[in-house]
Amino acid sequence: MISDDWAVRVNSLGIKFFLRGKDGGGLRKEEFWALREVNFEVKKGEVFGIIGSNGSGKSTLLKIIAGIYPATEGRAEVRGKIAPFIELGAAFNPELTGAENIYLAGSIYRVPKRTIREKFDQIVEFSGLRKFIHTPVKNYSSGMFIRLAFSIIIFFEPDVVLIDEIFAVGDRVFQEKSMEKILSFREKGASMLIVSHDMGLIKQLCNRVAVLSRGRLAFLGRPEEAINFYLDLIKKGEGLENLGTQTFSPEQLVLNDARRWGNRQVEITRVEFVDEAGRPREVFRTGDYFEARISYINHGVDDCPVFGVAIYTIYRLLLYGPNTLENLGTQTFSSAASYSGQRDKESGKKSFFGPRSEQDKLFTEEPAPCESWGEREKDSKEIQGEFHGAARADGRPREPGFMADREGVEGIDFHRQMKLPRRGKVRFIIDSLPLLEGDYLFSASVYDSSLTIAYDHHEMMYFFRVKSPGISAFGAVRLESRWLISAD
Amino acid sequence: MRSTWWELLSYRDLLFNLISIELKLRYRHSVLGFLWQIINPLFYLLLLSIVFSRVIRFNIENYTIYLFAGLASWLMIQQSSVVATGSIVNNQGLIRKIYIPKLIFPVAVLTAQYIDHVILVIILFFFSLFFGLSPNGSLVLLPLIILAHYFFSLGLSLIFASAQVKVRDVQHIVAIIFQALFYATPIIYSLDFLPEKFRWLMYFNPFYYFVESLRYPVYYLAFPPAHISGPVIGLTAVSFLFGLFIFRRGEKYFVFHLS
Repeated sequence: MISDDWAVRVNSLGIKFFLRGKDGGGLRKEEFWALREVNFEVKKGEVFGIIGSNGSGKSTLLKIIAGIYPATEGRAEVRGKIAPFIELGAAFNPELTGAENIYLAGSIYRVPKRTIREKFDQIVEFSGLRKFIHTPVKNYSSGMFIRLAFSIIIFFEPDVVLIDEIFAVGDRVFQEKSMEKILSFREKGASMLIVSHDMGLIKQLCNRVAVLSRGRLAFLGRPEEAINFYLDLIKKGEGLENLGTQTFSPEQLVLNDARRWGNRQVEITRVEFVDEAGRPREVFRTGDYFEARISYINHGVDDCPVFGVAIYTIYRLLLYGPNTLENLGTQTFSSAASYSGQRDKESGKKSFFGPRSEQDKLFTEEPAPCESWGEREKDSKEIQGEFHGAARADGRPREPGFMADREGVEGIDFHRQMKLPRRGKVRFIIDSLPLLEGDYLFSASVYDSSLTIAYDHHEMMYFFRVKSPGISAFGAVRLESRWLISAD
Repeated sequence: MRSTWWELLSYRDLLFNLISIELKLRYRHSVLGFLWQIINPLFYLLLLSIVFSRVIRFNIENYTIYLFAGLASWLMIQQSSVVATGSIVNNQGLIRKIYIPKLIFPVAVLTAQYIDHVILVIILFFFSLFFGLSPNGSLVLLPLIILAHYFFSLGLSLIFASAQVKVRDVQHIVAIIFQALFYATPIIYSLDFLPEKFRWLMYFNPFYYFVESLRYPVYYLAFPPAHISGPVIGLTAVSFLFGLFIFRRGEKYFVFHLS
């Protein structure tokens, strides 16, 4: 394949680090190949995603392409001007004013002074920092800092953009503005390399996606396939042995991922956002039915694990973090969580997840201890509370939460008794999503009943978006409220 | 090699910016600002000149100018090299995050230092006029002599800065060595002051040649003779090329030693 329209070309790239001996700083240094035999080409105008768990070499790869790290073997070539979004604001001198820093950063990116002068006003305008442009940036808030840094890079029209997890910063309006601007690069023929844990973003933006696993290029192809490959990789921790020379156990691989921890006795294998009809969705509208489906495998835990979720704004502000300990079977939050199972057809054993069509047949059952789940429940029937998908009996509005198993179950007692099926799904449902327009991060976790042992915790690994057409309110959440205007 | 210089050239705006930041920020909040860069050495000069001409009584004609010229040469090399030693480590934040040709940092620091020192040399020139010395044609060599100082210290800076990346003690060691060398170099005294049998030692002190070379146009009022200018040219070339070699060999890996 000889083509000449590449913008970035990576050729049997490898980089070796030396790790200090772990036991007491011995002199023997251990070799560690952070990347090896990585090959790919990014075409002009292409958006190329790089995914993989933490420690898989994504950021290192970007740093080699940016010229910060030297390749130990092979090479990475770049055609044209690079815009490294790797570390925003790295080019700034905190003592200098915003205006001075625009010139400094411009010179670091080799933008001719004349161009900077021409673009100066646009940069200042875009950053929205006109009032503070003659203030030293050390007095800026981190948000202002990032906005200025971003604005500068955006205006020098690069040929190759390197992006490493930057979309969790800045306010929403600015983020969207920036996103538009970045996408406009693509139209101008600029190429982009995006490293992200945000699968939604990757799927939305990328033409092709590479999956890195322990320094090896494990997969390269269409975004959906790559994401599935990556999720499988995490899920199984299998098939990894063939991919690298390092001998990491899957546990270590997981430890490497700072956003996931736990001993995996109960494992969260998949988190999916779906609509009322069970169709996977990433974008919801305010007021929509929202459901997060957490698939799990129980590797033999006897007590009743506690599932939890959390919704954050992109500033990592926790909006809501409920768990099944409080909610399951109690009416405190009028919320509902369901452990659901289905019959495992091969083994003939029951597990607790039914196909969506069955799930829609909602019904309320008598309270039952959880041991019964695997034994007494009817085939393929979902067990869920009165609050799921239907109005409450007392006619009060439904509120968000986990689906309760059934009405009237004494929550904690119930919970203690419950035994988790081997495989299944937990569904977190908000009947009417009160979130306003914006991007939200989502955590899912499963702990032991005393909440001290993490079985599997996925910290902000998921992402969904909310649109609010026709709502003029500001903020993240819609609170029940009303206006009264009267004349005296 | 050629591409290195091209690359450096393409970063010239950055070089100018870094130099001006270096000059601007140093005295941003002080009242006298830039003047300190001159007041400091002048005060030092005054002190030394009083101590050694009035108290210890060296018998050197126009001692103040003799001392000033020696001190200017010495400070040019010593101060700038010591400051430039930290140039890579002090910019680690930048180096770890953005690609910039690393040569730019020592060059920027050193150049900023030299701008200060050139001003000092200009003052020296007026001093010598004031003290009744009338400079002659040898003065045309002054810029070249300063240039030699520049490249000599650039070579040293490149070596020191590379070493400093790996071992952070280098800066202190360098400072101590320079302190000792200050007294081992005829700056405050003259060569005659040394016992005859030790004088040969001086020929192994590179700073001797530089100090003397600067004295020629402003103090001896003559062109530096070959036994001074020869070693100066040779030392400059060796220092610069060796420094560049060391630096370029190591610069790719600096990033692994920075945190």
